[in-house]
Amino acid sequence: MNDQIEKITILPGINKFNEKENFERIDIKKGEVIAIVGHTGAGKSQLLYDIERLAQKDTKSKRKILVNDEIPDKDIRSNPKRKLIASLAQSMNFLTDMSVEDFLRLHLESRGKKSKPGLIEEVINEANRITGEMITPGMNLLNLSGGQSRALMVSDVANISISPIILIDEIENAGIKKEEAIRILVEEGKIILIVTHDPSLALNADKRIIIKNGGIVKVLNVTLKEKGIAHYLNWIENYSLNIRDKIRQGEEIKNVEIYCEPIKSKK
Amino acid sequence: MKFIIFAGTPGSGKTSIIKHIIHELKDDFKLFFAKFDCLRTSDDEYISNEYKIPTIKKLAGELCPDHYTALEIPRIIKENQDKDIIILETAGLCLRCSPYIKEGLGVSILDITSGDPFRYGPILTQADVVAISKGDLISQAEREIFRVKVLKVNPKAKITEVNGLTGEGAIDIAESIKESLSIDGRKLTLKHSMPSAICGYCYGNKIIDEKESRQRFLAGKEIKNMLPDLNCGKCGFKSCNEFIRAVLDGEVKKEKCPFIK
Repeated sequence: MNDQIEKITILPGINKFNEKENFERIDIKKGEVIAIVGHTGAGKSQLLYDIERLAQKDTKSKRKILVNDEIPDKDIRSNPKRKLIASLAQSMNFLTDMSVEDFLRLHLESRGKKSKPGLIEEVINEANRITGEMITPGMNLLNLSGGQSRALMVSDVANISISPIILIDEIENAGIKKEEAIRILVEEGKIILIVTHDPSLALNADKRIIIKNGGIVKVLNVTLKEKGIAHYLNWIENYSLNIRDKIRQGEEIKNVEIYCEPIKSKK
Repeated sequence: MKFIIFAGTPGSGKTSIIKHIIHELKDDFKLFFAKFDCLRTSDDEYISNEYKIPTIKKLAGELCPDHYTALEIPRIIKENQDKDIIILETAGLCLRCSPYIKEGLGVSILDITSGDPFRYGPILTQADVVAISKGDLISQAEREIFRVKVLKVNPKAKITEVNGLTGEGAIDIAESIKESLSIDGRKLTLKHSMPSAICGYCYGNKIIDEKESRQRFLAGKEIKNMLPDLNCGKCGFKSCNEFIRAVLDGEVKKEKCPFIK
């Protein structure tokens, strides 16, 4: 099994108007976090799909994906036991009628892994750190709320579908602690691609890929200044979440006080 | 000529996926599309308008649609000798049946939200390719578990994930179609026998009663013995069974069959 991934490379395909994408190649190295941004319907999820599938000019976009500068073996595309990629899609629901614990065990099995003692508990504990509502091992999957389902999926990706490449589609819509989820998923030495509409997530990445009309139109390196702005935006969000909590607890909101201190950028 | 049968429950996304596959193949091959259904369909018209390929609609009416499909296959082949690939979409009703033929390619479209694959019969177990649809509705974890379950039910199947909306996966099925063998000069055989039709209900009995059904069956069998069982349609009915039903209901005289003296 070859899971020593140093980098993946995107070679240009075509956009929705059949025009060639305007770049030579995009290399994404181990340890990098890439944000994929663009309007709804621009083709962001298609890029994730191309990477998940390790496309060889055989998807709509006609892009080609290389792993360590080579064309990847066909079997690693589909066989979950050899999969290099874990993905967290936009779906929020489970359909399987079984307990959380049994489900996680079954998933371990389908990935060809043996359960270590305490692993299932750890997956559930980690999920509980990103959702406000407690998940227990005996709960039925079908009874989980949207936030609980999503939290469990995040923790599953981090602990069971352990893969060198992680694809994340719009995690911000999930009703979970976004930063905590990202912290769990973004590990050292992995390649992470995040499709997002969330400015603070996009500005926290290392690079961002801008997509328009089905094609990649730009790749930007995130500047230090932008990371500072991301911090500031995060603060505003948390402030707003704090107010939401107070509203939920039945408090009266009397005034808004803003004293965010942006992180100091180098002078 | 290659002969491809698509089966799957209604709403599993057969037609949507077939559209994308036809789009992949139409420039390189002469295609023909046959849509089987029970009562009504306009998928054939849509496909002929959109992709400019010849199509046909076959409605089973009172017949079991899969039996009807098997009855009609020779005619479709005979009328389309000039084609490279015939794509046939079944009505897709029960989990039991599958008019897949050994010499062609059988593709089962399996809706991932439709429950446990263990419930399925030949429609899944005998398929050469299993295309799992609607995977975008659930998590990767569940998709992987589902895949393992499908493999347990049909270990030989080539499994592909497809999306009828975006066309993802259609290329893989198009590849399998290209790789499938030609049926030219070969005798076609069903991969699995279909459920037999041997009760009073087959002759149009409507009363839920053992005795009634038995009597109807015996009366029907008596007429059946006089018929050639050709399903030739000369009596105005699609099949001998339908004709028997009409005779038993008093709608026509049995002498309407040209083979009964």
